[in-house]
Amino acid sequence: MIEFKDFTFTYPTGRPAPALRSITMTVRPGTICGVVGADGSGKTTLAAVVSGVSPHLTGGEFSGSVEVCGRPVAGTPMAELATSVGLVRQDPFSQISGARFTVREELAFGLENLAVERDVMRHRVEHVMADVGLSELADRSPYELSGGQQQRLAIGSVLAMRPAVIVLDEPTSQLDAEGSRRVFGILDALKERGVAVLVMEHRLELLARSADQVVVLEDGAVAADGPTREVLGDPRLPEWGVGPLQYTTAARRAAEHGLWDESRPLPVTLETAADGFHQVTHRIPIPAGDQP
Amino acid sequence: MSILAVSDTSPIHRLNPVTKLVFAFSVTVCGFAHTSALWPLALLLLVLLPAIVYAGALRRFTQLLALFSAPVVVALFLVQGFFYPGAERVIAALGPARLSYEGLIFAAQTALHIMVLVASFLFLLLTTSPSRLMSAMTQRGMSPKIVYVISAALQIGPAFAARAQRILQAQQAHGLVIRGLRGRVRALVPLAGPLILGAFTEIGDRAAAMETRAFGVTRRPTSLSGPLPDSTGQRVARAVMILCAAAAVAVNVWGVIR
Repeated sequence: MIEFKDFTFTYPTGRPAPALRSITMTVRPGTICGVVGADGSGKTTLAAVVSGVSPHLTGGEFSGSVEVCGRPVAGTPMAELATSVGLVRQDPFSQISGARFTVREELAFGLENLAVERDVMRHRVEHVMADVGLSELADRSPYELSGGQQQRLAIGSVLAMRPAVIVLDEPTSQLDAEGSRRVFGILDALKERGVAVLVMEHRLELLARSADQVVVLEDGAVAADGPTREVLGDPRLPEWGVGPLQYTTAARRAAEHGLWDESRPLPVTLETAADGFHQVTHRIPIPAGDQP
Repeated sequence: MSILAVSDTSPIHRLNPVTKLVFAFSVTVCGFAHTSALWPLALLLLVLLPAIVYAGALRRFTQLLALFSAPVVVALFLVQGFFYPGAERVIAALGPARLSYEGLIFAAQTALHIMVLVASFLFLLLTTSPSRLMSAMTQRGMSPKIVYVISAALQIGPAFAARAQRILQAQQAHGLVIRGLRGRVRALVPLAGPLILGAFTEIGDRAAAMETRAFGVTRRPTSLSGPLPDSTGQRVARAVMILCAAAAVAVNVWGVIR
């Protein structure tokens, strides 16, 4: 569980304005919370705070509190936090430990540090390699991988540690459509296992399918926080610097012409959009000349 | 050309990494124990060379030894050969530079000592998987932080190459054209700045990556590779090699005192 209570954070260098302002939000175990917002809205800082990178490594001033699994982030050493929080950062290259020589060893690095038994470690590493699609590259150097493969390695390295909370900052930024679907498939499985997942993601379609809750950040503050369908269907999304979903836009325009049932919520996934349009098109009589 | 061993291809590769580490240290210490040129030459030809041949790594060993030693050896022969202080037996004179017999002998002695040092550690690196070496050090109780520093140093080449590749690709996407040898040399200038500065800024990210993966939580981390094979024979061999190195140091000290 992640719990922010009126949390404000300011970096020690750069602009004096807080990077996060009066954040109050909760991510419960067994749920996926998506965080969206324009560039510079504070998504990466939010990820850094949950994992303890800020303020432990970056420094900075804060007020309010953040607790992860009941432990205050600011008062818990980072290495200790790592036993319950996993962080996947935006740039996978900088997440390679530099201490291991193959993909397999890189995946085991965190487990070795947690003194996990060898047999358990081997089992988990093989399992995670299959999950993230790196089994074929097990003996390659992490530095020989492509950007997308390194991103999958970074995700796998965190998954192997099986933390209770996983934070992913733009995990699909270097992945193709198949890779992105695979990552969100893994997140769905983690959710089933009771893991609290916080994911900063700009591909709204992916969030719409998997997230239970979406938080919109605007200039470091929470602009909206609620169930996925409610938040992603909010007409103010463009004002907050977040491009609306194509399905929502299409349904809204259709509604203007009486081609969408106003009693139905706006769709945020392909399936709900197709259902809604299907219902409407079946109500419209087909002109006699067009009938087969 | 990779300097790191990739697979277990010979009985020497399969030896416990600590045995090979002790071997490399002992041969180096013994090589430096006597000023004579014959002593390091004998170690090179009678100890290191057979071991390398048996390991099946002669080709890469020769190439890498030449690559690492040649600049030092050439510099030594030029500086010591021509400018050896107090030289009496001058072979040839070229203005103020005088090629002397004493200078050449000194250069040969020093070069051979350095070659023994380089060859010993090339033997270690070419016949030992770095992962196994690091695991062996951790299992022997060495601090994980020191082991990390050593393994990061061994990976500095691939890491720099990967970073340089990323920077070059970005620069080429912005219109940098690299054609021919001159183009490559010219591309080094805009590459150097971001490469070095990038390495510095990456330190913070790397530290964060290490911390979030529980580095330092325990002083006794486990190892994926498990216990490494060892034997009574290897333990005895290590003890003998350490004794040989100690004896070489003792002989050297005795020679100085006397």
